[in-house]
Amino acid sequence: MISLVLFVPVICGLIALILKNQIINRIALLSSGLLYLVVSAACWFNFKWYWFPGWLLTYFHFDTAGLYFFSIMTLVFCSSAVYSLFYFKEHSLSARNESIYVAELLSFISVMSGAILATNLALFWVFVEATTLTSALLIYFEKKKSSLEAAWKYIFICSIGIALAFVGIIVLSIGSRQINSLFFSDLYNHALEIDPFWLKVSFAFIFVGLGTKIGVAPIHAWLPDAHSEAPSPVSALLSGTLLNAAFLGLLRVQGIFIHAHQENFSNFIFLITGFLSLLVSAVFMLRLRNYKRMLAYSSIENMGILFIGISLGKYGIFAVMLHVLAHSLSKTSLFLTSGNILYLYKSKKINSVSGLMHTDNVTGWIWIVSMLSIIGIPPFPIFLSKFMLIKAFWLSGMYLLTIPFLLLVIIVAFGMGGTVFKMAFGDVPINYIPDKRPVFYAYVPQIVLLIILFVVGINMPQRVFDFMNNAAGFFN
Amino acid sequence: MTNILIILLGTSMLYVFSVSRIEAYVKILSLQGFLLFLLVVIDIREINWVNIAFLSIETLVIKAIIIPYFLLRVIRRNEIGREVEPYITQFYSIIIASLIFIFGFVAAFWAAKTNAGIKPLYFGVSILLIISSLFLIINRKKIITHILCYMMLENGIFILSLSVANEMPMLVNVGILLDLFVGIFLFVIFFNKIQEMYDGSHIDVLTELKD
Repeated sequence: MISLVLFVPVICGLIALILKNQIINRIALLSSGLLYLVVSAACWFNFKWYWFPGWLLTYFHFDTAGLYFFSIMTLVFCSSAVYSLFYFKEHSLSARNESIYVAELLSFISVMSGAILATNLALFWVFVEATTLTSALLIYFEKKKSSLEAAWKYIFICSIGIALAFVGIIVLSIGSRQINSLFFSDLYNHALEIDPFWLKVSFAFIFVGLGTKIGVAPIHAWLPDAHSEAPSPVSALLSGTLLNAAFLGLLRVQGIFIHAHQENFSNFIFLITGFLSLLVSAVFMLRLRNYKRMLAYSSIENMGILFIGISLGKYGIFAVMLHVLAHSLSKTSLFLTSGNILYLYKSKKINSVSGLMHTDNVTGWIWIVSMLSIIGIPPFPIFLSKFMLIKAFWLSGMYLLTIPFLLLVIIVAFGMGGTVFKMAFGDVPINYIPDKRPVFYAYVPQIVLLIILFVVGINMPQRVFDFMNNAAGFFN
Repeated sequence: MTNILIILLGTSMLYVFSVSRIEAYVKILSLQGFLLFLLVVIDIREINWVNIAFLSIETLVIKAIIIPYFLLRVIRRNEIGREVEPYITQFYSIIIASLIFIFGFVAAFWAAKTNAGIKPLYFGVSILLIISSLFLIINRKKIITHILCYMMLENGIFILSLSVANEMPMLVNVGILLDLFVGIFLFVIFFNKIQEMYDGSHIDVLTELKD
């Protein structure tokens, strides 16, 4: 199964790139999405089959946390694959450009699943660096001046960050030279043998490196640019899956600290950066002029919340797992809908968009409901995860932190809600040129994601709950 | 012998601080690649031909020949001569470089005292290379200099990995090399695009996106 996940998208992408045929492109994209759905479903029902060389199994493995993140990635990938069809139609791309897009997207997905499933820290690093390289071309896909600037900042800042993460990995191997292995399982089993000094030094580097990729403050410089300049389905993938993949790596590294009983050190760093990210997004949220950048800052906020969740240890980890799912799905829905708005108004400026309910009420409703989901209005699961985090603050004795946490979260919600309502209601701008409404498959992915979120929020299926609990238990 | 090579590697970085002709940077980069190759060859600890062949190809063919040649061609085609005036002037950068050197050697002395099983001089010089390339990336304005300094940063990381006795699995080594290679390739593609779209090619032109 692992070989299917890793190689089939790349092969499909190559076929699309060689044949340059519109129908083949679409088949390649959708069939890879379908394959991912089938593999995720098969893993959820413990159905496994192996056709590939055994050595791959040493390096890649569907563990609980990996499968959880992989399933989230599958949902986001399928949504943006379907939405990409609308993107092709809207931009009337040539078959050649379409095939380039498909090949880049599929290789991006493939290396991302490699990063999620890798069992070796250094191999994980290789795949994370590869995600930077494959996605940079996607960010520059529209070939505008601004997208070039965004792509350059992204590839350069992330490459430097990831290079520093590699320094951290080497430093970790200095501290763990008796173990002489960088497989997560070996590191966990022999965590107490790792020299605490080198472990802490390595954490500083790995944290900065992966933190750059996750986009937490103060190392978030690339994130708003890249998310706002990429095509909407790619922005959804960047925010909904790429940040998660890097985050999972950091979670696994935190696992080493927990096994080595050194988590006080790392928790402190997680807590500080978490709050700093919340602060940065709260400050910027009130003065933004571009709605895609607003979504990007919301990603920084949510990554901050995840970091705060990790810092609370066993009290916060379940909330973190729930938040990862809820954030990815809501943000994907928001980014895809922002593609509809961009299509209708031909502008990313908040001031150019108003009266969305009059121009296209379905987009308007999805935009509002997705916003309600991301700021954590019940019954959506982000409400639950934030609530559990506040509970975790009390349980871990840091109840005073509830005040800044709530304050910053409310500022972000206020800023985002105000902007979304301003765009949805009001009069249609005078210079608005009516165009055809988006086709139905530009709405379906968002509606499906919102229904999933609604179901998880109202009555979480027992299987999902157990699975999340297992994934969380992995780090306890 | 290895000590002389490693000191030469450190000194090459000092030279980078003092010159402003971009072509000189590329020559230094190529020299660093060659020195790394010598280090790898002299310092063979085990007879594993696959590993030796891989490391030789990585250092000699890719780091010392292909990448510098590729970058030199880009520089000549775009007629880039000198680095523009950096944010911190040459005089102060050399003072900062000396401080970084002192720090590197302090790190080497410290590493010699600990029993972490690392080679002190390798460790010190790698730290020196990493910090000074980061400083140069922050201080210089031309995008091509950033790419060159990124390569020097990678060289620093390579020496750091040599200072440790542990070895990575072959799959990981190949992955790292592939990433580096594709990375440089993409950097150059984007560099060419920036050169085409904007008049200059230093980072001051990239100011369209902000809040």
